[in-house]
Amino acid sequence: MSNEILLFCIVFVPVLGSFVLPVIGTFSEKARNLLALLLVAVSLIFSVKLLPIIISGQSITINYPLLMSIDFVLHADMLAIFMAIASSLVGAIIVLYSFGYISHYENRNEYYFMVVLFLGSMMGLIFSGNLIFLFLFWEITSIASWRLIGFFREKAFVLRADKAFLITVFGALIMLIGFVMLYTQTGSFNLLDIKNNLQNNPVSNIVVMLILFGILSKSATLPFHTWLPDAGVAPSPVTALLHAAVLVKIGVYVFARLFISTMTLDVVWHTVVPVIAGASMLVSGAAALKETDLKRIIAYSTISQIGFIFLGLATGNEIGIAGGLLYILMHGLAKGGLFLCAGIVEQNTHTKDITKMGGLGKVMPITLLAFLFCSFSVMGIPPFGGFFSKYLVITGAINNGQMAIAFTFLAGAVLTVLYLLRVISIVFFGELKMSSIKEGSATMLFSVAFLGILSLLGGIFIKYPADVVVSTVQQMMGIIK
Amino acid sequence: MISLFILVPLTSVILLNLFKGSLINKIACWFGMLLTLVQIYLIVFPVTCFWDNLSNPLGNYFILNLSADTLSKVMLLMIGIVTFISLMIGQYTYHEETQKFNFANLIILALSGMNGIVLVTDIFSLYVFIEVVAVASFILICLYKDKAGFESAFKYIILSIAATVFMLLSIVLLFLISGDTTFTAINIASKNPTYGFILVVAIGLFTCGAFTKGGLVPFHSWLPDAHSSAPTSISILLSGIVIKVSGLYPLIRLLTMTGGGNESIKNILLIVGTVSILVGALAALGQNDIKRMLAFSSVSQMGYIVLSLGTGTMLGLVGAVFHMFNHSVFKSQLFANSAAVEKQTGTRDMNKLGGIAQKMPFTGTTSIIGMLSICGIPPLAGFWSKLIIVIALWQTAHYGYAFVAVIASVITLAYFLSLQRRVFFGKIASGLENIKEAKAGLIIPVVILAAVTILVGIFFPFIMEKLIMPVGDILK
Repeated sequence: MSNEILLFCIVFVPVLGSFVLPVIGTFSEKARNLLALLLVAVSLIFSVKLLPIIISGQSITINYPLLMSIDFVLHADMLAIFMAIASSLVGAIIVLYSFGYISHYENRNEYYFMVVLFLGSMMGLIFSGNLIFLFLFWEITSIASWRLIGFFREKAFVLRADKAFLITVFGALIMLIGFVMLYTQTGSFNLLDIKNNLQNNPVSNIVVMLILFGILSKSATLPFHTWLPDAGVAPSPVTALLHAAVLVKIGVYVFARLFISTMTLDVVWHTVVPVIAGASMLVSGAAALKETDLKRIIAYSTISQIGFIFLGLATGNEIGIAGGLLYILMHGLAKGGLFLCAGIVEQNTHTKDITKMGGLGKVMPITLLAFLFCSFSVMGIPPFGGFFSKYLVITGAINNGQMAIAFTFLAGAVLTVLYLLRVISIVFFGELKMSSIKEGSATMLFSVAFLGILSLLGGIFIKYPADVVVSTVQQMMGIIK
Repeated sequence: MISLFILVPLTSVILLNLFKGSLINKIACWFGMLLTLVQIYLIVFPVTCFWDNLSNPLGNYFILNLSADTLSKVMLLMIGIVTFISLMIGQYTYHEETQKFNFANLIILALSGMNGIVLVTDIFSLYVFIEVVAVASFILICLYKDKAGFESAFKYIILSIAATVFMLLSIVLLFLISGDTTFTAINIASKNPTYGFILVVAIGLFTCGAFTKGGLVPFHSWLPDAHSSAPTSISILLSGIVIKVSGLYPLIRLLTMTGGGNESIKNILLIVGTVSILVGALAALGQNDIKRMLAFSSVSQMGYIVLSLGTGTMLGLVGAVFHMFNHSVFKSQLFANSAAVEKQTGTRDMNKLGGIAQKMPFTGTTSIIGMLSICGIPPLAGFWSKLIIVIALWQTAHYGYAFVAVIASVITLAYFLSLQRRVFFGKIASGLENIKEAKAGLIIPVVILAAVTILVGIFFPFIMEKLIMPVGDILK
């Protein structure tokens, strides 16, 4: 198959395939589950297949001009392919985990439909070379997450789903105004044309501000972060999908795509964005220390770790950006693992309140190990993957001479260690407060163990992801130069 | 031969009544559907000899100058679609035979009137056909002969008369300056600078009339009453097409033939549009009756169309017409959904409903599609028309209005999410455990309309190029 067809399949096999899933689900549960996994795996395998071609310096573009410069453009470069592999990898594991988790709830057809549609439109968003199509896929992910958060149909849950939908759509619409403004300034929605027309002049600050509304709301960063902890009422694989692997990374990805590889930012943003990210990180880190709901703690932790990614990307120097990108991958793996572990705990203890738990490590040894591995990665303990990313991010800030910001983030890293140790000690150690607790099902345990081991291996064999990230950064920065 | 669009429905109303009987009673609705299907067919698959004005054998007997430009064709298509759906729903929801017959009769009469409005080429005939549609709608609103129906029909009559007085005054002034009522004569006269003031007054008066007919703030008070107390098949007709054909279409015609008036006219359009968007959306937020919420939502969406017209550019016109088309599709669909809900559960009060999507999957799913489209969520049709409106506003440097238009989309989403939450999404409400999905008669129309919304959204460039963009030609 030619590379263009591969690229097309990465996006449209899951997007179109997702519509078949509910139909198949009415005949056979098993066939639907396997097909769902297959659809997501297609994205992953084809992305990996494209990787060597992209690394060799080529880029693949599908350009189908439509009217008013709303052209259908799919563009695969290093950044896109890196992001696609990172999200479809975690996505595939989450679908696998869902086999066990979701098997005894209602509306399973809708569940798989929405999850695969979500992952497919994520691929569309990543490869979009046109702002309007980027927005289009962006909103499809919002629709899917709205249905998924309200999956259990309780009134309070649906309200929270509505809240998440409203906040992200609000941000997205403000961002759309920013896109329209860019269009009136540069005469095009196509990223390549925008880049050529801007010719390295910094893009106007008001456009950056408008687009930041969308990015911050999608990535759940202060002041638009409140929907994310509330979204914890969704099924655990969904929260893993939303919080860890995919949805919150949309914002940071678009930041990298627009403000690093397409446009040049005004210098002031190299300070403003880290300050927003720092505030967001501290506030949510403190909230995570106080919470007693297991999934809310991890959700707050996500908000605070997104701060690190933003800091890395906003430094504007190669080391910082490399750290930010690396952390997108490492955080996706580790945080996905944490949520899936929380899912196992929640399903077997029937509660999310950590004060009622204790000593679960004795009865759930594999879950405990996976949870530990993933937490170490998020805490940034060597040799886990998270360590290298956080190290690079903070080095990037120091290289910029932003000592105050670097120290704030170091404090934030300490905060991370604190709240994760608190969770681990309360939930897994101490005296067993509940009786007749079992381990999760085999596919669920396999998924979390796999993510835990990946977090460790990602750190030990840091060379391979780092190589990819470094050439990604070189390509992104090369475009600027 | 385009005169047939008016003559065939008109003669069929007469013939249907002449040969009234039980057989005719039964087929009246089906006959109306056939007429509208032929109308849709003629637009979608253009039959050249039909549209050719020269081969007009009736020209000697029927002296009315008609012409169908690109805008008229889009309007004819909308009229065809909405009337077809309204007849389908009516066929299924009216049980008494005479009521069904009266309904079909009046709808076909309204069809003739609406086709007349979009085809005529002089402003006085336009006015006459507006009255034809209005008279048909008065009776249709109170077809159930209940108190609420009479009350809202009466309200509509009073405001409608006020509107037509405005329009007539305006026509008198236009006649005064141009010596004729044809569009071309008015166009020529409008270029004469000495008539500047009278022209602006005339446009202003006509605009007020059009706003009343179109249900824009501050002349909107009849609309929520009429749309919610009328039978649903009539709500579809009113909200889907009548307010557009008898309110906004004449406005577009007048503005295009007079060059859009001056800056103050544009400002009036922008302000009235914005206020309507906000008032409609905020009022919808507080409603408990599904149909009332949808009616207020119509006020809000009409605001978008007028706002887009206020830019005075070609793109603004195109966006307005596109949004009109999309609105007629998804609003008809949402009203049809409400008909299904009311029929199966016996209530429209959202506080008594809940979680019925589990029992009514088709109604639930299509209502989500309609909702997402009206809120401007891609890739559905409503997104593209709102995008064009926002681009048009931005290009003419109306930044503040663009922001309001965008933020109002969030309010729209808020009230539709509240509708979804209270009616479809969630746990099933007590007392509704045994409801079933509506019969095919109510499902087929909504599925058709939802499919149109999706297809227009996905094949947006094609639709745009073939159907909507050519509308801009009328400015040349």
